[in-house]
Amino acid sequence: MPLRGIRTTTAARNGAGAFILQCKRLDFHYCNSSGSSRGMVAFLQKTLPTFARENPQIEIRVSPRPQKHPLIKGLYINGREKPVCVRNLEPHDILKKAILLKEASGEKLKRTKKPVTSLNESVRGIWSPYHGDLRGV
Amino acid sequence: MKRLQLQRWSSSVLAPRARTVNRLHQHIYGQRYQSTVSPVQARDDQTAAIFEDSTTQDEQLAQIVKDSHTRRSHLQYPSPPVEAAQQSAKLAALHARLYLPSRLPVQTLARALVDQTADPNPNFNNASLATLGHDLLSYYATEHLICTYPRLPLTVIFAAMYAYAGPKTLAAMAREWGVEMATLPGGEVDPGLLQFRRVEPGSEVETGSSRSARPYEHNKLWRKTVTSKVFYDDEFGDPLKGPGMSAGGVTTEQASAEFVRAVMGAIYLHAGRAAAKRFFEQHFLSRHLNISELFNFRAPARDLTRLCARESFERPVAKVISETGRHSRHPVFVVGIFSGQDKLGEGAGASLIEARERAAVAALKGWYLYSPLNVRVPSSMEEPSALPWKPVHVDLGEVIV
Repeated sequence: MPLRGIRTTTAARNGAGAFILQCKRLDFHYCNSSGSSRGMVAFLQKTLPTFARENPQIEIRVSPRPQKHPLIKGLYINGREKPVCVRNLEPHDILKKAILLKEASGEKLKRTKKPVTSLNESVRGIWSPYHGDLRGV
Repeated sequence: MKRLQLQRWSSSVLAPRARTVNRLHQHIYGQRYQSTVSPVQARDDQTAAIFEDSTTQDEQLAQIVKDSHTRRSHLQYPSPPVEAAQQSAKLAALHARLYLPSRLPVQTLARALVDQTADPNPNFNNASLATLGHDLLSYYATEHLICTYPRLPLTVIFAAMYAYAGPKTLAAMAREWGVEMATLPGGEVDPGLLQFRRVEPGSEVETGSSRSARPYEHNKLWRKTVTSKVFYDDEFGDPLKGPGMSAGGVTTEQASAEFVRAVMGAIYLHAGRAAAKRFFEQHFLSRHLNISELFNFRAPARDLTRLCARESFERPVAKVISETGRHSRHPVFVVGIFSGQDKLGEGAGASLIEARERAAVAALKGWYLYSPLNVRVPSSMEEPSALPWKPVHVDLGEVIV
């Protein structure tokens, strides 16, 4: 057989075609009795239905966690999770935290050094010392 | 975050599952946004009647207790009942995450998540949807490849098909869509989970009896030509497999691939051809594949000579374009392959032979990877008000050596 094909898989480019939101679940934990959850309970009663309606991609779970500070936990497609403690926060601050978790990719935070990262080859190619005008040393 | 301590669970673990769906939650959001637990049916009227009635019969009470949880009644089915799909938050989230058309109901998506091994009833599993989706995927991927790269060799087309629509890619896509798997299939399982029966660890993986129509199939030593694979084998050039499910189990990869195919089939059925094609373009074609990396040449210089003879070009000649350090430890030669005055390809290598092989590979790839501009695929004729069809250029393919 003169020529064979090499089997590989295609690599995902999220957002190049379809965009999949990476946050797949948000868990809201609250305590009914403790004061640090007051803002959270208000958030759950007032703001969360709207938030859930606006973000149907995210599965939302609410569950009590008695004698503990309130918590929002985001679960991501890459299998990681991101918990944020929202004790003593007002509902609008909690909404900010929920939006932060929604928009996160789930990856560890890392510094982006290059403005563009791409799977495609450089259009200009790689410089070669053996091409172009030969110059005497 | 500190983990929950087990001894504090005692009440919540021992109490019936109804506790997990808490009152506040139900009150605020109603049934739709509930967690993955199926809602408990309210049988308060009957229960009240029993307690008012002094002549309570044991069987009746037992029946109430038995029915007090719908999950219990779901146990009689191998897969979740249709009405459970409406209650699943996971399923609704998956539907929204994939931006599936609203005409595709969640019930069908739930059916796409039930594998053949979970529910053998063809009315409730995804086998039929997956068959349709598989055909659509193969069709769209093939027409895209053949029209965009009309000179690709068949083996490379097979490899590219595998990359676009092969089971590995489909399984990766299901993972990237955030599809979770149920440990075991059953009627009480959340319909938003992928349900299939796993292969038992340690069991022999049967390859399945080949149901190829190829004559002389039993002669294993006979050479199978690439061209014959088009007729007798599947779209990846693999022999067709019969139903080879050993002890009724599939691997995670197979089940995920079946699910993705079933979603494709479901979109085609409910939302039509245009939506299915758009889904294919957005989710499959948008993925990155460098086709020039799929080539594995054995004798590129010989192939190039045969190709030039077939296309009646002048015989290719390799010439050294530049070189450095011929007698040093690291020489570099830049060799070009010329056919008459035209330079077909160029390569650099540490020896003359290596540079010539690379130049031949570059020349062959330059030929095979030709791609015309503004290609139209046959399925574009299905669009309304499509322009009249002009035949696309499809080349002879690879050289036969």
